[in-house]
Amino acid sequence: MTRDTSPFRYLAIHLKDVARTQVLLYAVVAFGLAFVSRKFMGDGVASGLDVADLLRSILGGTLMVAILMATGGVAGNDRKQGYYRAFFSKPMAPWSYYLQRWLVGLAAVLTIPLWLALAFQLLFGTGSHLTLELFASVALAYLVIGGAVLLFSTVTARDWLVVFLLYFMQRRMQEAQEMLTRMGQEVPRLVQVALTILPPFDQAAGVGTLPSGQTLWHVVLYGVAMVAAAVAVLIFRPLGSGGRA
Amino acid sequence: MIRFEAAGKRYTSLVTRRTVTALEDVTLEMRSGEVFGIAGPNGAGKSTLISLLMGFLSPTAGRVSIAGLPPRAYIESHGVGYLTELVNLPPHWHVPDALDRMARLAGVPPAERGARVTDVIGRLGLGEHVTKRIKQLSKGNLQRVGLAQAMLGDAELVVLDEPTHGLDPVWTQRFRTIVTELRRPERIVLIASHNLDELDSLADRVAILDHGHLQRIVDHATDSPATAAAWRVTFEGTVDVATLLPGATPVPGRGGSWRLVATRADVSRALAVLLGQGAVLVECVPEQGRLASAFREAVGE
Repeated sequence: MTRDTSPFRYLAIHLKDVARTQVLLYAVVAFGLAFVSRKFMGDGVASGLDVADLLRSILGGTLMVAILMATGGVAGNDRKQGYYRAFFSKPMAPWSYYLQRWLVGLAAVLTIPLWLALAFQLLFGTGSHLTLELFASVALAYLVIGGAVLLFSTVTARDWLVVFLLYFMQRRMQEAQEMLTRMGQEVPRLVQVALTILPPFDQAAGVGTLPSGQTLWHVVLYGVAMVAAAVAVLIFRPLGSGGRA
Repeated sequence: MIRFEAAGKRYTSLVTRRTVTALEDVTLEMRSGEVFGIAGPNGAGKSTLISLLMGFLSPTAGRVSIAGLPPRAYIESHGVGYLTELVNLPPHWHVPDALDRMARLAGVPPAERGARVTDVIGRLGLGEHVTKRIKQLSKGNLQRVGLAQAMLGDAELVVLDEPTHGLDPVWTQRFRTIVTELRRPERIVLIASHNLDELDSLADRVAILDHGHLQRIVDHATDSPATAAAWRVTFEGTVDVATLLPGATPVPGRGGSWRLVATRADVSRALAVLLGQGAVLVECVPEQGRLASAFREAVGE
């Protein structure tokens, strides 16, 4: 038998799986939120309020959950359930399989602004309000939050929960640091170190605006490093943890 | 060629630092063209040995290789037909969808994929289950799906872990036919099983593991004619077997039945003489398979 050796031979299945679950759900939620906004705001949206701000606000409020949904358990669930034994007895590298699945998740998350814009256009007739910077900011959030989930997914099926807790902790410490600085007090060394080590969730979560200069580089490199570390773990760390596990 | 060179696996608890040795100093080779069996009681190290072979675990001592490559390097380029002990596939997948996905992963070309999936569905008698999801299958049918997905890729290494687990007697027999059909000069078929009769009838050689150690390799080609085994021979009426085979003892309460320990050649010679003298044979059966004898000897039971 000749063999199909393309590393992308399973990509269509990843796309189908994500389209039938996440993308469909994102569309339903986007239309639902746009409908609720129309209901409560009425014609005020079209006449006075800034629809672009509303879109960014809805996106900002849902993006974290959407990213956790797109990436949660990406590799960790297969390890926990033992599916990896059948999958990776086939000529397929785990890192390639999961990286493709992660990238498909990015494509799915990038459809959220599209669904929202479409819903706004249909319900309010106010134009798309989509900008390249909006998509770039969503992609940046996915790189950092989704990258962290992918990294933790190589060792635990509760990857999304770990990242959510880290995100929560990082945001609270960031707020504490800002408050102490405003009050002219010294920020404890432990908080400074923790904020340096933890993924820059706060810098990546601003929907519609990108950080600039060195901050942007820091966020991008941090995200890429997490994805690269996840790939390295998938290459070098065996998937099993016991004879039957 | 598969090689285990002084391979060992120890698990160390991260918390207590306690170590458990699952496999120690295992050295063996499996050659192309053979059906190789692995037998051992629960906890003997069979599953760990297979996990090392599949690259799902790394050895903590020694080395494992397939065709000269580390297991993962071999599998990621060639693939292995692998039936897991507990068949695990996402429960919401439909049977043909699961096999199509596995066929893609196995690298079956798009033009052949449909025919290949249909073929294994037919061979494994899954036709009546094509509308079912994985979670709706009985244990035996799930095992057949597991076997079907292992056969999709036409791999040169086939690993079957407890293959008849959950199969009914009809499919246990059919499984033996399937394994016979899988035998090819370039292929290694590895079967780990508790069922010694199965290994006795299918495998060319069987490694017996106990407490993580390789106790013995039973080679059917070299062990068979010269190895003494226990037999039960039954004749109609009274026949004196002891004169021809010293050591033969009558089975108490069963007139005409004798128990004896002898090689196959000695039993054949004695039977020829007795039948020549007009004795009527009712049965002549090994009291225990050679593998079963070797197994009991190896694991000390």
